[in-house]
Amino acid sequence: MLRVSAVAERAGVPAVSLVSEGFVGQARNTAAGIGMPGLALAVVPSHPDVQSDAELAANVANTTLGMVVDGLTGAVAEVGALSEPDPDAPVFEGTYDEVNRFFTENLWSDGLPIVPPTRERIEAFLAFTDRPADAVLGNALPDNRAATVWSVAVNGVMAGCRPEYMPILVALAEAMVDPAYGNEHSGNTPGAETQIVLNGPLIKQLGFNYEQGALRDGVQANTSIGRFWRLYLRNVAGFLLHQNDKGTFGGTWRVVLAENEDVLAEMKWPTVAVDAGAPEGANAVSVARYTGAHVVVSVFGRTAEECVPYLADALVKYTGWELIFTVGMANGTYRPMLVLSPIIAKTIAASGWTKAMLQQALFEQARMPARLFEQYISGWTNLVPGRRSLFDLARLGKAPKMFGASRDPERLVPIVFEPAHITIAVAGDPLRTNCYCLTHNGMLGFPTTKLVALPDDWRAKLDAARDA
Amino acid sequence: MSASPEIHAVYWPRGRKTVSFAPTSPRPGSLEGKTVAFLWDYLFRGDEIFPMIQQGLAERFPGINVIGYDTFGSTHGEDEHAILAGLPDRLRELKVDAVISGMGC
Repeated sequence: MLRVSAVAERAGVPAVSLVSEGFVGQARNTAAGIGMPGLALAVVPSHPDVQSDAELAANVANTTLGMVVDGLTGAVAEVGALSEPDPDAPVFEGTYDEVNRFFTENLWSDGLPIVPPTRERIEAFLAFTDRPADAVLGNALPDNRAATVWSVAVNGVMAGCRPEYMPILVALAEAMVDPAYGNEHSGNTPGAETQIVLNGPLIKQLGFNYEQGALRDGVQANTSIGRFWRLYLRNVAGFLLHQNDKGTFGGTWRVVLAENEDVLAEMKWPTVAVDAGAPEGANAVSVARYTGAHVVVSVFGRTAEECVPYLADALVKYTGWELIFTVGMANGTYRPMLVLSPIIAKTIAASGWTKAMLQQALFEQARMPARLFEQYISGWTNLVPGRRSLFDLARLGKAPKMFGASRDPERLVPIVFEPAHITIAVAGDPLRTNCYCLTHNGMLGFPTTKLVALPDDWRAKLDAARDA
Repeated sequence: MSASPEIHAVYWPRGRKTVSFAPTSPRPGSLEGKTVAFLWDYLFRGDEIFPMIQQGLAERFPGINVIGYDTFGSTHGEDEHAILAGLPDRLRELKVDAVISGMGC
């Protein structure tokens, strides 16, 4: 919405942005990030969704309208010059405690102590990539900052990573700045959090936990790389609480999920990365933003057919407003993920099922009444205006025909466009029958996979790092 | 006597801005006779708020011309990148003098 105004302004057309009262702070910061801090705002008091028609009309007439007129006809706001530190020179010198106080005061830390990013430590990280320190990986939105190999190393040091994690950190930064991922939406109000999935030989080489407690903090590789992601979001992309990060509640960053590739190989199932197009056996990171996660406890069954109904039920039960990413706001971009514990995955595979067969069965069984789907996208939420039924949306070409097979409100409709849109991962305690269901934030954190590039002398450097 | 604590020279964790600060465009003194485009992300009751604004603007500026949001499509969804990329040309083509963009909530 502010980006629209900025595009118009750059084209020489005055613009004003309509924002609710609670959005003003983020709007000011987003405008500065865009490079146009003087963008005009017109405020709707409180939040429109909780106002009666009369209250809304009065607020628009008494407050918003005047700000619209002033914003489009008033004086142009003056813009000051931007002054920031030189990334190539030390920004501070001090003891460990002083450094941490300085970083906390400048909002460069996540609230935990950071490892001081000294040149010696940064250079140890840079030694684990063949790319030059000043290489620009992309533009980090919404703050519009260059994502460089150098800044990856600085934040990797701060997060408590080891230097040999650097190839993974670079790949993650590349994923973050990929426009397909939609990083500029990472501060949206649902407060979704990114889940990183790692595949490839690096899982074992770097000691990632992929078994019991796979999503728990406590293992340096999984934990510190998860922390790196949020530090990079904070420092380079510019997501700060009360500024660009408007998560209503938010959540702590997620540790890296490493798949159990031994079990996957045993079952001849592809990894998450291979499903996304990575070559077999490649090191790769996959990221997507998830609005929530729920454990599916004690899956009971001796066959695939017996296990699937409960898993399908979880996919339906935990999906609500996210359906606007199936039909409504960004059609076909909803990608929920099920993490199967190895024993459940092997039980399903032992029935002769491939991963594709499981996805097909889940697609067919994870369905809900059309009337409930419509409530999530336009009744209870008002996120798809006009209160159009799924039948009408399908008839108008705004949804696939399978969503409008009849007008029966009780007919069952799928929660995704196609079976492959249900991501399946395998990890966790090998002998526990629990699974995990993550609901997805659609195009506002779309699944993005990047290959991990290792330096030419990776093995030697890794051996040296282990001995250090 | 304890040893002096180690002093760390540390580096800035952010990155250089890729855009410089720019002022907004010059404003007309009045919206009388001007063409104003509504652009909407199809969220948060914009379908009710934009008509209220249109009515209020028409009362203040009787000669105003409004181009509705359906002309452009949703600015927040799978088409948003394409809509933004084509917006400058579209604004020129439609001879738009001012834009009202909503809803940020």
